[in-house]
Amino acid sequence: MRIKLISCEVFTREVCWAIARSPNEVSVEFLPKGLHDLGAPRMFARIREIFEAVDETKYDAVAMGYGLCNNGLVGLAARTIPVVIPRAHDCIALFLGSKERYLDAFNANPATYYLTSGWIERSAPDAQLSQFSIKEQLGMNMTWEELVEKYGEDNAEYLWDQLVDHAKHYNRLGYIEMGVEPDSRFEEFAKARAQEKKWRFEKMRGDLSLIRRLVDGDWNEEDFLVIQPGYKLATRHDASIVEALPAE
Amino acid sequence: MARNQALFDAILGGKRKDAARITQECVDANINVQELLNESMIPAMREMGDRFSRNEVFVPEMLIAARAMKAGLEIIEPLLVQSGMEPRARVAIGTVKGDLHDIGKNLVAMMLRGAGYDVLDLGVDIEADKFAEAADQGVKIIMLSALLTTTMQYMKEVVDHLEGRNDIKIIIGGAPVTADYAKEIGAHAYGRDANDAVKIVDALVGVA
Repeated sequence: MRIKLISCEVFTREVCWAIARSPNEVSVEFLPKGLHDLGAPRMFARIREIFEAVDETKYDAVAMGYGLCNNGLVGLAARTIPVVIPRAHDCIALFLGSKERYLDAFNANPATYYLTSGWIERSAPDAQLSQFSIKEQLGMNMTWEELVEKYGEDNAEYLWDQLVDHAKHYNRLGYIEMGVEPDSRFEEFAKARAQEKKWRFEKMRGDLSLIRRLVDGDWNEEDFLVIQPGYKLATRHDASIVEALPAE
Repeated sequence: MARNQALFDAILGGKRKDAARITQECVDANINVQELLNESMIPAMREMGDRFSRNEVFVPEMLIAARAMKAGLEIIEPLLVQSGMEPRARVAIGTVKGDLHDIGKNLVAMMLRGAGYDVLDLGVDIEADKFAEAADQGVKIIMLSALLTTTMQYMKEVVDHLEGRNDIKIIIGGAPVTADYAKEIGAHAYGRDANDAVKIVDALVGVA
């Protein structure tokens, strides 16, 4: 099978690992991490632009290396070949290997900030993207100096506390090791970050199976949504997360 | 009494110390504090909310304005109580179970206080039971917030839990939340942003 994979770059190492081992011929296009920060309409516009530029005569299916990602993929409509997407709220389900495991981890401690190699090495914000981010639009992307200059020191202190430290209720850093990392550099980075934030550090074992099945074409109904031509992606507010609805 | 322009401007400009000083001067001069609230302070926050809706100001400006208003409000609050003034209505707000992101929720709470409401801020990660308890404490409106698609589903559990409480209206909001979702789960309204939320509360409690 020939697959076109459009993926968030947060999965770069994992996806490349999986493609190398796949029986399929997979062409991958990575998009910048952080599209979810643009808000759903702008994120969707970016995704759709790339998606509609695909020459579908060359492939049997388009696979999306995304989750629901804050509704950024809602409305994506299959054109001439099927589109497949993992049933996941966001990338953490793909790193942990299943939406069920993510749900369990989330319920056990929602105050967890997750890191993986992709979250660490792809963390530099894309300047072109960040000017359109929700945070930027809301004035939540300012440095301390900018806050003081614009609002004075008294208000700057208050705004810093209210706006900038958006993860103030988190208490645990979950470093997910996928087994594709070259050495311990990402784990060490995550440990240092946990220490700096005064969060408990926990190393979690990642699971490549969902990403692997995405590129291998092993798409069961339980874990993947296959959107046939004439249908589009929609949210479902239950455990199945997404569904296909008629495009018109 | 007409609007106290200096106080109005101090609040709009997020000047907390000026707002407190001017308010204190008014109190010392025996100016009617109810009028000060209704004709200078609340209108300043309403103007701020409208500017926000028109994209003329952003979240930081709104936050510091609300903070300046609060500085004035703290000074006149005991006098308002003495004068027998009742808050417009009691409103409870919180982020739903599992959701720890409270910037939006805090902003809505501040704007509601700025509009003269008695706001019971339940905090973050709030279970359905806690919202129900608030309903027993004279609250007329319950507002649910969620930032994640993972946690917004819990809003339905809260709505279901409050089923039969016809005295309570439920408003939902947050980045992934939509008006369609509000309809789907049986919430009474959806607030698009902090200013919109205040207007919806006004409409639900019958404030023009």
